[in-house]
Amino acid sequence: MSVTTVKVARRHPPRLPGRQLASNAAPTVIALAGGIVLWEVVAQAWNVIFFPPFSAVVVRLVELTLDGKILESLVGSLTNLMIGFTISVVFGVGIGMLMGAYRKVEMALDVYVYAMLTAPSLVFAPIFFAIFGLGRASILGVVIMYAIFFIIINTTAAIRTVPVGLIEMGRSYCATERQLFFKVILPAALPMIFAGLRLGMGRAVKGTINGEMFISAVGLGAVVISAGRRFDAAAVLAVLLVIIIVALVGVKAIQLIDARMTSWLPSTARAAKARRAGDRV
Amino acid sequence: MIEISGLAKTFPARGKDAPVDALKDVNLTINDGEFLTILGPSGCGKTTLLRMIAGLIPWDEGEITIDGRPIVGPGPERAMVFQSFALMPWSTILDNVAFGLELRGVSKAKRHARAAELIDLVGLTGFEGRLPGELSGGMQQRVGLARALAVDPQILLMDEPFGALDEQTRRLLQEELLQIWELSRKTVIFITHSMEEAVLLGDRVALMGPRPGRIVDITDVPLPRPRASAVDAIEGSEEFAKITANLWRQLREMQMFRRHAAEGRHSSSEPAA
Repeated sequence: MSVTTVKVARRHPPRLPGRQLASNAAPTVIALAGGIVLWEVVAQAWNVIFFPPFSAVVVRLVELTLDGKILESLVGSLTNLMIGFTISVVFGVGIGMLMGAYRKVEMALDVYVYAMLTAPSLVFAPIFFAIFGLGRASILGVVIMYAIFFIIINTTAAIRTVPVGLIEMGRSYCATERQLFFKVILPAALPMIFAGLRLGMGRAVKGTINGEMFISAVGLGAVVISAGRRFDAAAVLAVLLVIIIVALVGVKAIQLIDARMTSWLPSTARAAKARRAGDRV
Repeated sequence: MIEISGLAKTFPARGKDAPVDALKDVNLTINDGEFLTILGPSGCGKTTLLRMIAGLIPWDEGEITIDGRPIVGPGPERAMVFQSFALMPWSTILDNVAFGLELRGVSKAKRHARAAELIDLVGLTGFEGRLPGELSGGMQQRVGLARALAVDPQILLMDEPFGALDEQTRRLLQEELLQIWELSRKTVIFITHSMEEAVLLGDRVALMGPRPGRIVDITDVPLPRPRASAVDAIEGSEEFAKITANLWRQLREMQMFRRHAAEGRHSSSEPAA
């Protein structure tokens, strides 16, 4: 039997990453600069004790960074964040898929998920504190309470909204249930699942800091608490800046994974790889 | 040979709506290598019938057999082409066409080679690495057709495949389908609501009517084959005009009867079932 060689056509003209990034980033940079100027001007003019100007916060941030306090706390917080978020993703996506695939599971768990989604997540902190004590487990509990329900709900909706026509197509070509799930439903649902992960990441950062503030004397949350007790507003805002950066980096990381996986999924990535390999030969 | 006997399906009552007889006592025999078109107004159950033959939905009464074996679900001897194309937007054209073979566990090299042949057959060589979203509707349906042909089915089930396309594209694809079919002579069941399309493509036209969905009439189309190279001559012929006019007369009666029924009048002009 003869094997036909398949030439894979070029899909897109190559992009210019540098220039595109610059033009995409311009509005963000302008907005940030504007915000900083506004902050500085308002704080200088107002001159109240709990609202230090941006420059003072930056000075404090440099001080805290130089004495190693920020770095040490950051490592602790990131560890909490990553463990808590990973657990949330594994169980959140798992439960969400079951709820999306089986109407009865959804009917059983729906009420819990929505109750937890609307409940202020921090009210669970004392319960975790009572069960797990002052340790990491309590903080992880809070992180998961913050993040997991958004991930569950998005995953459920993602599975639910896979076009019926595609599922019918899969069935008509004799797909087994397993093939139908992995080759049709999952790839079709992936973009929306990732939207849930982005939300979940933002929530997980919030959960980490709140958990640390409430429960124990570690991480960035603890730095915020102790600075607050000393009425060191500049330090509080300095740590807040760090937290915001952590959250933005986290969300961006999810977006990058998302862009790789759904642009569009997996055969395209493979085709692109094959093309690049082909170009080199 | 496909034999449909006494097929019936009732959709249960929903809220205030009364139960709907989607299909009632449908009997139909489709011979091997025959191109059968099923024509009918919307809501007459023609797509329901096709999906039953595809094994996608159950029915209440009757039987469908292929070469004597009753249908219990989708099978490898049947392949379907969808009105909405139903391509996987994340897969390249090559992988979309190879999908049926992938599900059957055919090795990547083999299924890609086979897919490339069919992509060539439908005139899309050079687009293997593209995504469906980058193609026009007509090109997407060519992919849908190639995907169905890739699994080398005995029976091709086509659910208003050109219904979502513009007129020019539709005509081109009709010619191409005739060309491909006249080479392979697979059994085709083709759903349409266009009289011209039904007559141009089919060996026979099964006319369906609504409420209850049923076969009203079966018309032989004695137009000569191959038709692919003579589409214009065929459509200009007297025979073509005669068959189309006859189908239109029946379709119009159906619509008139429906309107009378909707207005609550008793009509004696019910078309003969």
